[in-house]
Amino acid sequence: MIRRLTSLRLARRDEPLPGGQVRAFTIGLLVALLLGVILLLATGENPISTYGRMLDSAFGSPRAWSNTLTRAVPLGLAGLAVAVAGSMGLWNIGAEGQIIAGAIGAAWVARLAPDLAGPLLIPAMLIGAVVGGGLLALGPALARARLGVSEIITTLMLNEVAIRIVRYLVNGPWKDPEGNNFPIAPEIPDQARLPGLFERANIGLLIAGVVIVVFGWFVSRSAWGYELRIAGSSERTAEYIGISLRTKILTVLVMSGMFAGLAGGIELTGSASRLVEGVAGGWGFAGIIVAALALMRPSGVAAVAVAFGAVQIGGLGIQTQGVPASISDILQALILFGALGAAVFGNYRLVRTDPAVIGGRATPPAAAPEGAA
Amino acid sequence: MNEATLLGLVIAIIEFGTLLYLAALGELIAEKSGVLNLGVEGMMAFGGMAAFWAGVETGNPWLALLVAVIAGAALSTIHAVVSVVLGADQVVSGLALTILGLAMAAFLGKDLVSKPPDAQFRPLDLGPLSDIPWIGETVFSMSAMSWIAGALGLITAFVFTRTSIGLALRAVGESAPTADAAGLPVIKIRFIAVTIGGALAGMSGAYLTLLLAPGWTEGTTAGRGWIAVALVIFGAWRPGRVLIGSLLFGGLIALEPRLQTFGVDFSPILISMLPYLLTIGVLILLSIRSRHRPSPAPAAIGQIWRREER
Repeated sequence: MIRRLTSLRLARRDEPLPGGQVRAFTIGLLVALLLGVILLLATGENPISTYGRMLDSAFGSPRAWSNTLTRAVPLGLAGLAVAVAGSMGLWNIGAEGQIIAGAIGAAWVARLAPDLAGPLLIPAMLIGAVVGGGLLALGPALARARLGVSEIITTLMLNEVAIRIVRYLVNGPWKDPEGNNFPIAPEIPDQARLPGLFERANIGLLIAGVVIVVFGWFVSRSAWGYELRIAGSSERTAEYIGISLRTKILTVLVMSGMFAGLAGGIELTGSASRLVEGVAGGWGFAGIIVAALALMRPSGVAAVAVAFGAVQIGGLGIQTQGVPASISDILQALILFGALGAAVFGNYRLVRTDPAVIGGRATPPAAAPEGAA
Repeated sequence: MNEATLLGLVIAIIEFGTLLYLAALGELIAEKSGVLNLGVEGMMAFGGMAAFWAGVETGNPWLALLVAVIAGAALSTIHAVVSVVLGADQVVSGLALTILGLAMAAFLGKDLVSKPPDAQFRPLDLGPLSDIPWIGETVFSMSAMSWIAGALGLITAFVFTRTSIGLALRAVGESAPTADAAGLPVIKIRFIAVTIGGALAGMSGAYLTLLLAPGWTEGTTAGRGWIAVALVIFGAWRPGRVLIGSLLFGGLIALEPRLQTFGVDFSPILISMLPYLLTIGVLILLSIRSRHRPSPAPAAIGQIWRREER
C-alpha cells in the first residue's frame, strides 16, 4: 500500500481547476457527508433522518437560525484571530486559550464593578475580554518578535495553561458559594447580559459581524494590511521597503489574541452567563479549521463560520435522538481533510511513475523522474 | 509522609512516565523525519478507545494492545496522506487529526462508557527480583509495558545514531531536497515515520485505558497528548532526554493528587500547568542558545515538500 502510494507523483496542472476554494470546500463537505453516512450506517443509525434532523436544527426555523448564527460568532472571531496571524504567515494555535482568557477578563471586570449600569458594564467587560485575550498572546508574540521562538508551540502550550487557570478559578477563589459545590463561578449580574436580537441571538452577532467586516476591509484595503501581506509573502522585501518585522509580528499576534478574547467576552455576556471550565467549547481549535478553509481571508471566515455553526448546532440537535454530538466534530475534521485534498488536486494531478525508479534505494539519483519543472 | 505513600509516588511516576514516553517517542520519530504531528492527543484517545473495546471483546490485553497500535497507525495515515503525500500544511492537518481522533473515540466508544475492564495489564512479577525492598517493589514490579517503552527508546536511539535507516530518517528531516538528491525516498520515509508515531500514540492510549485508568470515558486523555508534543521539544529531540523529561512531567502528574498528603498547601491544578510552562521556558532557552549553536530541531520540520517543485 505504501509502495503504491509512493509510486504516485503530483504533477502541477497547466491550469488550475476552476472554482478555487469554493469548489474545494464543496468537495470537502461532500466527502465528509459521505464518510459520515458510512459511519452512521456502521453504528446502526439512519443517515437520512440524522442529516435531516441536523439540517432542521440548524436552519429549520428562525430559532434554529438564531442558534446557528450565535454559534458562528465565537467560530468566526476565533477564525478571524487565526486568519489575521495567518495572513502574515504566523500560526496562532492558541485561540482556545485566548477565548478562555477573554472570558476570564470579562468575568473579572464584572466582579470588580458588579453594580455598574449595563451600558457601561458590558463595554467594560468586552474590553476586559479583549485585554485578557491579548495578554495571553503577548508572551508568544514577544518571544517570536524578539527571540524568534516559534509561536506555534508557545500558543499551543498556553491553551493548556489557560484551561488550568479557569479550572483553578472555578474550583477555588471564584467558586460560586451557592453553586451546590459545582465547579462554576457565580452568574454575572443581570445588567451585564448582552441585549437580545431575535430569538436566541444577541447583539454579539452584530459586534462580531462588524469586527469581521471592518477588519476584512482593513486587511484588503489599508496600507497596514498591504504591508502585512508583503511581510507574509517575503520577509526580505518587507525589510527592504522599511517594514519593521518585529513590530508587525508583535502587533499581529497580540491583535489575533484580542479577537479570540473578544469571542470569550461575547460568549460570557451573551450565552454563558457564568464562567465555567468549558467556556471555550473547542471553538478555538475549530477556528483554526475555519481560517484554513477560508484561506486566511476574513470574508471567507464569516461564511465558513456560519457553515460550521450549522454543523455544530445540527450535532446538538441529533443528541436528543441518541446520536452522539461528536458526529459534528467528525464532520468538521473530514470537511477540512476533504477540502485540503481537493485544493491540492485543483492545482496538481496524480501521475504514476515507475515504482522501480523510486522504490529501490540503490537507484542512482540521475534516474529520478523528470516529471515537471 | 510514610514509606507506602512514597512507594506509591514512585510507582505513579513510572506509570505516567511510561504513558508519556510512548507517545512522545512516536512524535519524536515523526518530527525527526521533518513532520510535525499535532494529532497525538487524538491518536492517543482513538487508540485507547480501540484498546478498551478489544479488551472487552477478547479479554486479552495483548490483543487489545495490537488493536490500539493498528488503530493509532491507521488514523495517522490520514495525516501522512494529507500532509506528506499531498503536501498540505502540517499544522492544520495535525490539529484536524486531533479533533477527528477525539470525536471518533467519543462516537464509537459511546457504548463502552462505564463498562468494566475485562483486560488489564498487571504488574510483572520477576520472582526474587521483585522481592528486593524499594527497587523490587517499583522498577522490578513494573508492567511489561514499561519495559517495552524503555526498550523502544533504546532501539530508537540506536537506530537514529547507528544505522543507515536512522541516518536516512534524519537526513529527510533536515532537508528534503538534499535527501532526495541523494536518492532517498523522502515521502516513503516520512510516511512510515508518521505511521510509527501513530502506532506508538495508540500504544500509549492502550496503556492508559488498560492500566493507568482502566475503563473508557470521553476526555480520558486529558491533554496528555499535548504534553507528549511538548516533551519532544523539552527533550531537544533526543530519545534519552525525552525519557528524562517523561519521568519529570510524569512526576508532576503523579504529584497532583498527592500534594495534600505530603502536607503541601498548593493548588494541584496550578502544579499541572508546569509541564507546559517549562516547555515554553525550554523553547526560549533553546532559541537564545541557537544564536551560538545550531538548533536541535530538525531543520525541515513543518516544511512542505513536493518532488516536482525543485
